[in-house]
Amino acid sequence: MNFEGYKLEIEKSSRKEVCEKALEKAKAVQPALNAMVTFVDYDDSYLEEADKDSYLYGLPIVLKDNVNTKGIRTTASSRILDNYIPVYDAHIWTKLKKAGAILIGKASLDELAMGGTNRTAYTGPVHNPYDTSRISGGSSGGSAVLVASNVVPFAIGSDTGDSIRKPASYNGIVGVKPTYGRISRYGIIPYASSLDHVGYFTRCIDDAAKALFVLAGRDDRDMTSSYEEVPDYFKNLNGDLKGKRIAVLKNVSDAVSNETINKQFNALLEKMKAAGAIIDEVELDDKLVRTMLPAYHIIANAEATANHSNLDGIRFGMQEDGDTMEEVMMNTRTKGFGKLLRQRFVIGSYCLAVDNQEKVFRKAQKVRRLIVDEYAKFFNEHDCVIALASGMSAPLMETTADEDKLSDEYLVAENHMVINNFTGYPSMTMPLGMTDENMPIGINISTKPFTEQLLFNIGKGIEDITGLADMYKEVA
Amino acid sequence: MEYETVIGIEIHCELKTNTKMFSSAPVSFAKKANTNTNEIDLGHPGTLPCVNKEAVRMALRACTALQMDIEPLVRFDRKNYYYSDLPKGFQITQQFHPIGEHGKIVIDVDGEKKEIGITRLHMEEDTAKQFHYDFGTMLDFNRAGTPLVEIVSEPDMRSGKEAAAYVEKLRSILYYLDVSDVKMEEGSMRCDVNVSVRPKGSDKFGTKTEIKNLNSISNVQKAIEYETERQIQAIESGEGVKQETRRFDEAKKITVAMRSKEGAVDYKFFPEPNIAPIMLSEEFIKGVQDNMPELPDEILDRLVNTYGLTTTEANILVSTKEMVRYFTDVMKYTNNAKLACNWVLVDISAVLNKENKTFDECPVSPKALGDLIAMIEAKTISNKQAREVFEAVLTGADPKQYVEEHNLAQNSDSDALMKLVEEVLNENPQSIEDFKAGKDRAAKFLVGQIMKKSKGTANPQMANELLMQEIVKR
Repeated sequence: MNFEGYKLEIEKSSRKEVCEKALEKAKAVQPALNAMVTFVDYDDSYLEEADKDSYLYGLPIVLKDNVNTKGIRTTASSRILDNYIPVYDAHIWTKLKKAGAILIGKASLDELAMGGTNRTAYTGPVHNPYDTSRISGGSSGGSAVLVASNVVPFAIGSDTGDSIRKPASYNGIVGVKPTYGRISRYGIIPYASSLDHVGYFTRCIDDAAKALFVLAGRDDRDMTSSYEEVPDYFKNLNGDLKGKRIAVLKNVSDAVSNETINKQFNALLEKMKAAGAIIDEVELDDKLVRTMLPAYHIIANAEATANHSNLDGIRFGMQEDGDTMEEVMMNTRTKGFGKLLRQRFVIGSYCLAVDNQEKVFRKAQKVRRLIVDEYAKFFNEHDCVIALASGMSAPLMETTADEDKLSDEYLVAENHMVINNFTGYPSMTMPLGMTDENMPIGINISTKPFTEQLLFNIGKGIEDITGLADMYKEVA
Repeated sequence: MEYETVIGIEIHCELKTNTKMFSSAPVSFAKKANTNTNEIDLGHPGTLPCVNKEAVRMALRACTALQMDIEPLVRFDRKNYYYSDLPKGFQITQQFHPIGEHGKIVIDVDGEKKEIGITRLHMEEDTAKQFHYDFGTMLDFNRAGTPLVEIVSEPDMRSGKEAAAYVEKLRSILYYLDVSDVKMEEGSMRCDVNVSVRPKGSDKFGTKTEIKNLNSISNVQKAIEYETERQIQAIESGEGVKQETRRFDEAKKITVAMRSKEGAVDYKFFPEPNIAPIMLSEEFIKGVQDNMPELPDEILDRLVNTYGLTTTEANILVSTKEMVRYFTDVMKYTNNAKLACNWVLVDISAVLNKENKTFDECPVSPKALGDLIAMIEAKTISNKQAREVFEAVLTGADPKQYVEEHNLAQNSDSDALMKLVEEVLNENPQSIEDFKAGKDRAAKFLVGQIMKKSKGTANPQMANELLMQEIVKR
C-alpha cells in the first residue's frame, strides 16, 4: 500500500486505528526482525497545527534512531546514549510533525550509523524480512526492514557511505539519498559531516517523490543546507524514458560475478533502450575506483572521531564513575562504545595526527576531489549513471564479516555507491528483481546535484518496466 | 653579560555580540549558571554550528584597525582535545586561514614610538567556566561558545614596559572599536605572554616560557620583569631555561611553573566540515571599513593638535569613550579647550565619582558646562562666581539664566567702568597720594571702592587695569 492507499484506509477507518495497527504490527514483527529500539505510542497532539493537505498527513512513520526527538529517547543504537532523551527536535522531525506524520517508533541502526550490516547495534542485529537468517544491511537497517515488511510506508534513514541505498537493495524497496544540502542535517546524530545525508525509504517512486517535497528545504541551522527551490516532485513526475541518456558504470558491471543478477540488469537495460533511453557505458579509472573505499574510510573515520568527541558522559548520556573528570570521560568512552567503534576512533585519530595528516587524511581528500572531478564529467553527456546497487543479495548473518576486503567484488561492486557521498549527487536505489535464493536485489541511479526530479522521473520509468512498485514481504 | 628580553603576546578577547559565535544563545556575563545556553553550546549530539555574522564584522573591524591583510574567504577548523570545559570535544577556530594577518600597532614608551608587528587575528569560540571545590568541579556553560578573537603579536617587545604599553594600546583600540568590553579582571580580555632572554646583540631566540592568564596590565609588566630576572639567573647558574607554561602568583609577585611543554598535545587540526568556506563580498568588507569609529590615536591627535591639550591631558581624556565624547560636546559651546579640559577632569569628574556615575549620565549637560566656560572666558563672571553658578547647574539650573537672574554678570564695559574709576579717583585724592608714595594698599582700597560702586558686578581685573592706567595720569 502506498501513501495514497494509507489515506484511503484512514478515510475508511480512522487515523488512530491505522497508526495503532502499524504499531501493533511493528511489535509483532519485533521478535523476528529486531528492528525497533523504542516504540512510540500514538500521539496526535500536534496535528492541529499540521498541514492537512500534506502527502504524509496522518501516516504512520518510523525514524532512524539517530534523529533527535525531543522528549523521546534517542540512542543512535549506542550504549553511550542508551538513556539519552534529546532536548530538541531534529529539523526533519519538526517538518514531519508539521506534515502531520505519526511516529510509531525509533528504528535500529549500526552503532552511531558507523557500519553497513546493522550487526553492531547495541540492541543486537536486525534481520532481513525475506530471510531472517540474513542481515538487513545497514546502517539504516531497522528503517529499511520496517518499510520492507509492510509495517510503515515511510521511514527516515541516513546515508554516509550507502547506509540507505544498500539496505534498500537488500530489502527490495526504494532508498533515496538526495543532494547534499537538500535536506537539513540539524538534529541528526552524525557520522561524518561532509558525507552524511538525510534520506528515506518508501516502497514506490511516487511516494519517494512525495516525501522529498515534505522534507527538503533550507534550514538556517544547517549552513550546508541549500536555498534551492523545492518543486512538487510528484506533481511533475514523468516516467517517459525517451531520449534519456543513461550511462552504465562499467566498473561495477565488470566486478559483479553473479549471473542471475547480471542477466536481470542487462534485461532492464534492453527494456530501457526499447522505451527510448540511450544507453552508454562509462568507466572510471580503475586506480581511482580501488582507492575510493580506503579514502572513504579515512575521511569518514577522521570526521567521526571528532564528531563523537562530545560523547564524554559529562553533560548527557551514560556516565561511568571516576575520580577526576578525565577519568569519568575515559571510563565512559571505554565502556560506552562497542569494540568496532573504538577501533575506528583509533584509525580516525591516526589519520589526523600531525605526523600522518598530510600523507593520510589530506591525501584521501585529494583522492576524493579527483573522483568528484572525474565523476562530474559523466554528466556532461549523460542524464544519469546507473549500476547494480550490489553484486549480491543480503549476506547471511554469520558470513558477513568474511569478505575479502581487497577483491574487486568488495572494493568495487559492494562499495561503489560511496561515490555519491563523495560528490553529494542525488542517488537512489530501487528494486530490480530477485536472486535465485529469492532475495531482492536493487539498482542504483544517480543524477546531477539538485536534479531529483530527473532522478524520480527515470526511476518512475524503470519502475514501470520492472513493475516492482509496492514490493514487500510480510513476516509471519 | 648583558641580556635582552624578547616578548610575544597572545590576547584572547571576547566579542560583545548579542549571541554566541555558532549558536543563537545570548552572550552574557555573571548570569545564573547554565541559563544562557542551548543544545549547541552544550555540544548535544546532532547540533551544527552557524557562523555569527556580527562576530565576523567585529573581527573585520579589529583587523582594519590593526592594519591587517584581510582573508576574505572565511574558513574554520577543528582543534581536537578532550577537556570537561570543552563541550564538543573540539573547539572551532581558524587555524589554517586566520581572517587577518600581518598587522601592526605603534606604542609609545617614555616618549619613544615603536612599531609592534601583529602576526595574526583569528575568530574562535570560548570554553565553559570551571569552578573547583572540595566536593568536585562545577561547570557553567554560559561562556561556552562566546565569540573570541585571538590576536598574536610578533616577538617585537623588549621589556615589561613595552609589553604593558602594547596590551594597553590594543585594549584601547578594541575598546574604541566597540567590539569588546576588554575587562581583564572579568576575563573578557585575557593575556598570555611568551618570554625569553638572549645575550644582547644575538639574533637567535632563547628558550621561551609562556606565562598564562595575566589578569591586569600591571601584572603583565611585573610578571615579565620577574621572569626576565629568573631566566637570566637560570642561565647564569648553568641550570638553563626549560620550555614550560607558568603562571603569575599575584601575592608573591613571582611566576610559578605549571606544566612542561615537552610532549605537547597534538590538536589534530582539520577543516570544519559543517561550515562551507564563506566568501566575504567586497561590499560587506567595505561596509565595515567605511563605518569605522574614530580610533584612540586619531582622537589623541585631534585633542593635541586641534585643541592644543598636552599629551598627558589628552591621554587621560581618552581613557574612557564617554569622557572624550563629553569633552568634544562641551567644545561645541566654548573655544577654551584648556579650561574645558580642567573642568572635565577636575570638577565634573569629582561630581561623577561622588555620585558613581559615568559621563553619559552626567547631571551637567555639555552645553551647560560649555556656556559656563564661555562666560568665564568672556570675563562675564569671575572664577568665584563660576563656582556658585556651577553649584546651581548641578541642581538643574541653566547657567546663562542663573547669571542673569542673580545679576552676576560682571561689568566688562570699559566706558562704564572708566566712569566709575574716574569717580572713585576724584573722591579719594589722598589715596592717589598714598599710591604714588608707594603704598600698595591704596590701590587695593581704590579697586574695592570701584567694586562697591558697581555693586560687585565690575570685573575686578579690568577695574584694576583701568585704575592703573588712570592713576598715573593724576
